[in-house]
Amino acid sequence: MSQYHDRDEARWAEDLRRSLPAPSAEAAAQSRARVNAWFESAAPTIVWQRWSTPIGPLFLAAGGEGLIRISYQESQAAFLAELDRRARLVEDPEVLAPYRRQLADYFAGERDRFSLPLDLSRLTDFQKRVLTTIGRIPAGAVWSYRQVAEAIGKPKAARAVGQALGSNPLPIVLPCHRVIASDGSLGGYAGGLPIKRRLLKLEGAQLI
Amino acid sequence: MPDIRFEDLIEAHHDEIHRYLWRWALTSSGSDPEADAQDLTQETFLRAFNAFDHLRPGSNHRAWLYKIATNCARSAWRKAGRVPTAPEAAIERFPEHSASAPEQHVVDRGRDMILRQALAELPVKQQAAVTLRHLQGLDYPAIAAALECSEDSARANVYQGIKKLRQSLVRREEV
Repeated sequence: MSQYHDRDEARWAEDLRRSLPAPSAEAAAQSRARVNAWFESAAPTIVWQRWSTPIGPLFLAAGGEGLIRISYQESQAAFLAELDRRARLVEDPEVLAPYRRQLADYFAGERDRFSLPLDLSRLTDFQKRVLTTIGRIPAGAVWSYRQVAEAIGKPKAARAVGQALGSNPLPIVLPCHRVIASDGSLGGYAGGLPIKRRLLKLEGAQLI
Repeated sequence: MPDIRFEDLIEAHHDEIHRYLWRWALTSSGSDPEADAQDLTQETFLRAFNAFDHLRPGSNHRAWLYKIATNCARSAWRKAGRVPTAPEAAIERFPEHSASAPEQHVVDRGRDMILRQALAELPVKQQAAVTLRHLQGLDYPAIAAALECSEDSARANVYQGIKKLRQSLVRREEV
């Protein structure tokens, strides 16, 4: 009877482990360093920060192509979870200074339009269309969801417009707060209705 | 969108994926398993990166990485021709067992090398199944996900693989 009959699982595992041992710690470290170096060069970098503003704390994120996210999220983890999962995240307020400057001017009532590079590459074509269209609403004015739907040539898509605005990654800069329900009520807002009202007041909009 | 960040995926799973591909490299015909394991590990994470947006939330990302690693190993061997390691070459690159007596050492080394070669002679899917189960410690649902087959088929591949290893060892012993 051979010693190789009736061997149990654990015995096979043990023999196989001896026959095919793990690589050395140096080899593993070398491979890890190589993968990490590749990742740093291949992955997009996103810089982010938490920023206290007159309307409350905001999270900002930007990449090489421009501003990616302005978020009212309360938790840092929830905010970071919204960003491209492949990207390398770096907390760096310094890099975000130009974006902060224009936003600060806006909160001070000294600016009502932005000239900032925006990265909309992760959005669908429909979202892009809706969000660039609302960029044409002047400060101080409000449109209804239906008006936006009509402006993009899809008069029946008011609900889809509402959804696209609800997932606006760049509130304030892309002024989804200037879109309200056709009965004059405020509709919804990611930052909450008090902030929507406050932004509209800041811009001098006449609300019912 | 996947529910893990890619950098966390590297952090959590690089070492075991590298270990897995190193074990594939040890059973291949290549002359430099360390370099081969590194190349395959790099290729695995590159492919994972490109496919990462399609990884569904809640899916087993560890098994998903193993699936990509297995496919990388497979396509590498397909290109190079998967010739089982020649016994002499295998002995040369076998690490030292420092604790045992010299004579025992030679016997152990010979037997370990025979097992390695027997593993290399299995059909690819059985080699993968046996390696995932007994060397990498994956459970059957994860093996099934990694090999893109049912759990029953994963079990059958481990079972058949071990059966063939046993037959092959007995045959060699008789010779």
